[in-house]
Amino acid sequence: MSNRDFLGEFEHIVVLALLRLADQAYGVTVRQEIEGRTGREVSIGAIYATLDRLETKGYVKSHLGDPTPERGGRSKRFFHVTTKGVAAVNRTHRALRSMTEGLDLVRSYSQ
Amino acid sequence: MTKPSFVQPPRFAVWLVNLFTPYEQAESIPGDLLEEFSELALKSDGAFARRWYWRQSVKTIGHLIGCGFLSVPWRIAGAVLLGRLLLPFGFILPEKIIVAVLRVFPVYPNYDHKNVVALWMFWVPLAIDIGWVIAPIIIGCIVAVVAKGREMIATMTLGFTFLALRVVAIIVNRPGRILTRPDILLGLLAAFAIGGVIVRETRSALSRRPSPTHC
Repeated sequence: MSNRDFLGEFEHIVVLALLRLADQAYGVTVRQEIEGRTGREVSIGAIYATLDRLETKGYVKSHLGDPTPERGGRSKRFFHVTTKGVAAVNRTHRALRSMTEGLDLVRSYSQ
Repeated sequence: MTKPSFVQPPRFAVWLVNLFTPYEQAESIPGDLLEEFSELALKSDGAFARRWYWRQSVKTIGHLIGCGFLSVPWRIAGAVLLGRLLLPFGFILPEKIIVAVLRVFPVYPNYDHKNVVALWMFWVPLAIDIGWVIAPIIIGCIVAVVAKGREMIATMTLGFTFLALRVVAIIVNRPGRILTRPDILLGLLAAFAIGGVIVRETRSALSRRPSPTHC
């Protein structure tokens, strides 16, 4: 995997949600965080598909928590962003900032 | 009006999600769905929570199918190819086996003319038909065993690949002897899927069984 890789749109959103949630990031909280902040209904399947892809790329790591009764005795899978993941977010942000620099998106392109 | 103390998610949706979830996510995905469903059922009415569970399940299964292909494409392709190679045997074998059994254990001496006619006009064709139902289920089981962890994806791919090939054959005017009837084609699809369900459920049951070393 190249060090110049950028995050896709949804990958970017998911990694930002993980960073916001810190040590409380697992499927339910990530889904709710994204839905609450973007207003976009996402499925738990989409979250895990993205998280698995990010884990394969080495941008996030996961570990299983303890089983809880409200989950029918199943464990939570917690995620955290790796140093490589943080670097990828920064790279993507810089690229987006650079691409939008000088553009007046609200006035010029809103028609 | 009092709310029910505990609302169960739709059982069929839960079963479907469990069927398509890979073993490595068997804790997280169904657990997350159940946790959020319980929260929703407490906040709103049970019907809303159930609708939400169904919507999430359908979308999640769609993603699981897509990701299943991408995560182990060669394993699935290999399993489907194996199933495709076994299919011709599945169509021939029931007839061959029944005829061979009748040769080894001839029933004619004990039968009068009426019974021999009944045997060849009713019982043998019925046995062959049953064989044609069982054979694709067994092929589905074999495919599912090979596609470990992606049983349903592999068996469904086998079914749809077969269906697509039959449709192409019909379009180019080369229909097979019997496999042009939609009910038979759909029956085959269902039989492959049943094979996948059998293997998946067996594996899940075995993995749930407590290990004798951890009593």
